[in-house]
Amino acid sequence: MSKFVERPRYVCALGGAIGTLKVLPRTVPILHAATGCGGNVALALNQAAGYMGSGYCADQALPSTNTSEREIVFGGEERLSEQIENTIKLVDGDLYFVVTGCMVEMIGDDIRNAVKKYDKGSVQVLGAETGGFRGNYYKGYEIVLKTLFRDFVEKKAVTDGKLVNLWGVVPVQDVFWKGNIALIKGLLHKLGYRVNSFFGEGETLDNLRNAAAASLNIVVSDTFGVEAAQVFEEIHGVPYITAPFPIGDHGSAIFLRQAGKALGMEDAFVEKVIREEQDYYYSYFERIADVYSDLDLQRYTTVVGDSNYTQALTRFLADDLGWLPELVVITDFLTGEQQEQARGNFTGYESGVQPELVFDTDASNVGKYIARHWGQSGSQKYFEGFNPGFILGSAIERDVAESLKAPQLTVTYPISNRVVLDRGYAGYRGALRLTEDLLSVLVGNR
Amino acid sequence: MDYINEKTPPIREDRLGACMAFGGSCCELSRQSKKGCLFQNNRTFSQSQGCQLTLSLAILNTIRDAVIVVHSPIGCGAGLVAQAGFCKGFQKLRDPNAFGLRWINTNLDEIDVINGGEEKLRSAIIYADSEYRPSAIIVMNSCVPALIGDDIDTIIEDLQKQTRARIVPVHCEGFKTKIQATAYDAVYHGILRHLVGAELYEEEDPVLPDEFEELKEKYIISRTVNVLNVSSMSRSDEQELVNLLKALELNVRVLPCYAHPDDFADSYEAALNVSICATHDDYFSEHMKTKYGVPFILKTIPIGIANTSKWLLDIARFFGMEERAEKLIAAEVEELNAALKPYREFLKGKTAFLAGGEIRVITTAELLHSLGMEVLGLRGFHFDRYGEALLDQLIDEIPESERAIINIGTGQPFEQANLLEKLKPDIYIGHPGGNGWANKQGIPVFPLFGQAFNYMGFLGVYEVARRLTRTLKNTSYSRNIVKHARLPYRRDWYSQDPFSYIDQSVAP
Repeated sequence: MSKFVERPRYVCALGGAIGTLKVLPRTVPILHAATGCGGNVALALNQAAGYMGSGYCADQALPSTNTSEREIVFGGEERLSEQIENTIKLVDGDLYFVVTGCMVEMIGDDIRNAVKKYDKGSVQVLGAETGGFRGNYYKGYEIVLKTLFRDFVEKKAVTDGKLVNLWGVVPVQDVFWKGNIALIKGLLHKLGYRVNSFFGEGETLDNLRNAAAASLNIVVSDTFGVEAAQVFEEIHGVPYITAPFPIGDHGSAIFLRQAGKALGMEDAFVEKVIREEQDYYYSYFERIADVYSDLDLQRYTTVVGDSNYTQALTRFLADDLGWLPELVVITDFLTGEQQEQARGNFTGYESGVQPELVFDTDASNVGKYIARHWGQSGSQKYFEGFNPGFILGSAIERDVAESLKAPQLTVTYPISNRVVLDRGYAGYRGALRLTEDLLSVLVGNR
Repeated sequence: MDYINEKTPPIREDRLGACMAFGGSCCELSRQSKKGCLFQNNRTFSQSQGCQLTLSLAILNTIRDAVIVVHSPIGCGAGLVAQAGFCKGFQKLRDPNAFGLRWINTNLDEIDVINGGEEKLRSAIIYADSEYRPSAIIVMNSCVPALIGDDIDTIIEDLQKQTRARIVPVHCEGFKTKIQATAYDAVYHGILRHLVGAELYEEEDPVLPDEFEELKEKYIISRTVNVLNVSSMSRSDEQELVNLLKALELNVRVLPCYAHPDDFADSYEAALNVSICATHDDYFSEHMKTKYGVPFILKTIPIGIANTSKWLLDIARFFGMEERAEKLIAAEVEELNAALKPYREFLKGKTAFLAGGEIRVITTAELLHSLGMEVLGLRGFHFDRYGEALLDQLIDEIPESERAIINIGTGQPFEQANLLEKLKPDIYIGHPGGNGWANKQGIPVFPLFGQAFNYMGFLGVYEVARRLTRTLKNTSYSRNIVKHARLPYRRDWYSQDPFSYIDQSVAP
């Protein structure tokens, strides 16, 4: 049974669905939900996501039935039909997608009915039940992907051997999603593949429509988008792999080898690509040798965030940068099985670092885990402690960082103290951005 | 007004006949409003808006040393993740030791929808009390528990016996109303029932009564005004108003935003409640009068020279200090007018469009007019008798404003996009949260309020004039962005009647 969450770092399934559709090219979400659901998630999907903006037709522009007491009593299907019809008249989109809130689901409104009438027409209208009580952002992302794969992706008879699909980088919830997608696509381009990511730079709905021609689906997460990959395989027969989200040399090499193997590539070619990327990476990474060693910039680190991001950050910190990320707090909802899977991604460090992993959704506990792991000063003369410490987490960790006087960089959701545009941390090049951002915090007062 | 014995306050559609859909001229709105049927207007296409719960948080996230418990599925109150950072900063302006924003979501899931969520609420309240030891725990009820029938009042009554914190229920279920401002009534209802009143607090009688001390206290109360601030105000707005009232030798208490829960206990010990904005505090003021006999003034918001002067004079008149206030105003206005000279020259003839709360846009329209600007159109989130009074005053004092377009709607940027395309104002002045759309249409934007800037009182007039001038000094960003961004509406929308989707058929 689930429990309450103290300072949750995610909106509900409906919010996840809206966030996902908000950034799908020329897609118009239509909200069938109580008055307020749309406005309620708007700030969270904009200002808490590095000020990513209102999107094409989201935030205040998001069409919504604004269901109220009358419809709750008498049913809201009629109002929904009217809203869909007028949205199509007024809003210019290539795909319309109805998502639902808790209340309309609880009163039993049937959205399929309202959507069905567009089945054979020129306008495409999809729908999915995404009531907030179904789960958090990731759940909404999963539901939308599943619906798109089932109802929008066209069946293909011929497979394009040089085409792959990529997902698992969760838009908006990963505030750096756009940059990260571009960076991971870059890695796969190096292997000689074209990539559909559906949300990436320059992509259109055609990338999604024709996705069934791909030879492999790569999900850069063990958790998010895996069910959608199963649906895709079932309907379109495209196999999938899951791979940990990669940041830095060690993480990216794992990713490239895993993808290369699944794509049946020769090891020698993959290793050549890795070497080329390493050459580029270390030509910059070596520059910090001076400042790193002059100022003693190694830090004990606490990493806070979802299972996808924390494993990538921790591997980069431990094996690339040589820091001591000894404590990791994973904050998303995971089943026991998913927790075990997540644990697997925190092993096999070349550096020998063995981080303590905690699964906890409550923000206040982060400070307690830090105290437990490194000990709390009782004004002893000789004392170890979280010093010099560094916290890599979200804006929510600002409180604990301030109380411990530890420097901090916000890289996981929510991020309300940075503006994020095309920055990404994935792969080799992203790790250089991360290095710049981390060390800039430490030299910020000089 | 006396709803205070009810568990929940009425909605504004019922209490004030508030309207949320209208389009026409100011003159027409004033006329139709008097018929009293506007609340029935609706839209056949609508865009998202916030709910009572979202807006309740605008006040509640300012309360110091409180923990907010949102009893709902995981997404309700999601805006808090974006607000936590700046809320802490603004709280610290009032108390350097403020904790900032602390909240818990009860995370109702599919199982709770069937079995009820009461246990989760209990555990969340107990956790909030033991983890933080706050002065107050504010429990916000949302749609789902209301529909499944969780009895939050009984739980709270029961837990109040064992918690250190005062527990305040706020009934702000989103589906109940389309008038977001019902939120203010929901919040004040909770505050009035659970934080105001000495009977809620234990206080022992002094061993030795001190008559002189009691007299002194009485005198202070007779000179004390409660200024009912709003969360869209800045600290500097507050300071400007407090300074003006202190010049009349009044003792000022500022409530409810950024207050400590204990500050409400004796808030009825005041000579007068002074409203900043009727949209926010008519419910509170009326109840303080009914229950504690505290009179109130609720006519206007101190924005612009005319309305600041009216606001101040009304208060002074109550204390019999009209003459003194007149002198103060005359001196302030003379100094201000001299300072405004260069800005008036620059702003003269510039056209503006305004969007936001009814009270604020109508008074800001007067401010702009006094700077020599022309207001082409206004949008209000909703409209009720308080807006009507100010609109009539505006039409009366500035006859040409009769022709200005007025559009009532919470959000609904599609109507605005159409209007702006037709009106093409030099500047757009709007409520934060929806300003980007105007910017993408190539129109420079000035936020209607900002918690880091001064807008109110005499200083506020100067600041608005100065900042408007600054904004218009370089409008390259909006001119650039219009060439590369586009709004989601079809081209032909802009040639249609902007109010095509407002259904006024029910109203006669």
